[in-house]
Amino acid sequence: MSTAMNFGSKTFQPRPPDKGSFPLDHFGECKSFKEKFMKCLRDSKFENALCRKESKAYLECRMERQLMAQEPLEKLGFGDLTDGKPKRNQ
Amino acid sequence: MSRDRAGLARSAVSSPTPGALSPPPPGAMGGLWRPPWRPVAFCGWRWSHRGFAARAAERVVPRLRPGTSGAGGAETALRRLGTWRRPSPAPELALQPPPRRPKSTNPFTRAQEEDWRRRNKTVLTYVAAAAVGMLGASYAAVPLYRLYCQTTGLGGSAVAGHASDQIENMVPVKDRIIKVTFNADVHASLQWNFRPQQTEIYVVPGETALAFYKAKNPTDKPVIGISTYNVVPFEAGQYFNKIQCFCFEEQRLNPQEEVDMPVFFYIDPEFAEDPRMVNVDLITLSYTFFEAKEGQQLPVPGYH
Repeated sequence: MSTAMNFGSKTFQPRPPDKGSFPLDHFGECKSFKEKFMKCLRDSKFENALCRKESKAYLECRMERQLMAQEPLEKLGFGDLTDGKPKRNQ
Repeated sequence: MSRDRAGLARSAVSSPTPGALSPPPPGAMGGLWRPPWRPVAFCGWRWSHRGFAARAAERVVPRLRPGTSGAGGAETALRRLGTWRRPSPAPELALQPPPRRPKSTNPFTRAQEEDWRRRNKTVLTYVAAAAVGMLGASYAAVPLYRLYCQTTGLGGSAVAGHASDQIENMVPVKDRIIKVTFNADVHASLQWNFRPQQTEIYVVPGETALAFYKAKNPTDKPVIGISTYNVVPFEAGQYFNKIQCFCFEEQRLNPQEEVDMPVFFYIDPEFAEDPRMVNVDLITLSYTFFEAKEGQQLPVPGYH
């Protein structure tokens, strides 16, 4: 919540997420995937681009256990990882 | 109704004008007394046609109550006017009728005239009220529009297309590395331990990223929390798109339970093309958890 006293200027408008809210992982079913991802992040000095495989694995775990709506991975921005062919812009 | 009698009737009512002569003979109840002169404005057809001139002439002299004609009515009417003029046979004085007086002594038409006058007044009141209402509405439009923008989320911010096919087709802009730092806050009344699991993450626009927060409920009772987020700087916030997160929905934590809360987001590739964002290299994502009480309405946007 913005508490800045800037009357008249545009305030921050929080927007709801596109695909809604993640159900809570009460039983820690995907905890191991998360731990792998966090370890990868720490190893790569928090560079996201290097840990995208782990994040993809985590989301797949969630989808398998009904903790996330099933969606093709291309729609989640993992198109280059699913094909195996990097389509990155240099 | 004979014209003659109508003319007589009306001219008799007009008798209590300045310059009235002696009171009518007794027995003539405002009906049959005929003045020795004949004021042109009141006679016969002119009167019955309700010409505008006649009505205009009526307004010159203040209105007399109906029923003042008749025996003794002339004198009392004049006293009410506040003037007491000697009766004089000057014909021009008689041309000034009291205005807004019923034009006939016929009780039915008089009632009809009264009804018309009342209706006219009502219409005038409604029109005046509508005019004032329009003026008020134009003043009220400003805060109402602001409310509308807040509800629908069109608060002047650029709404780039967040369709999922946009995510599919977006190409990461590799040369713009942005550091995203994470912040976690908790409202004073909520006793959770809420913190991010990484302090920062380096992303590029157009690339989806995953980040984790952790929340623990150290109390012995289940607690329901609801969160909102904030992005600093504000202008960069419009490019910060969350695909899925844990905000704006009630999240229940059982006693002594600890959960991981992921945030799946990306930064719009158009961020790299915005000239205002040239110097922006650091974006801070801040989440705040509140306790969700029964019936409490938090000012957060709902999407369901």
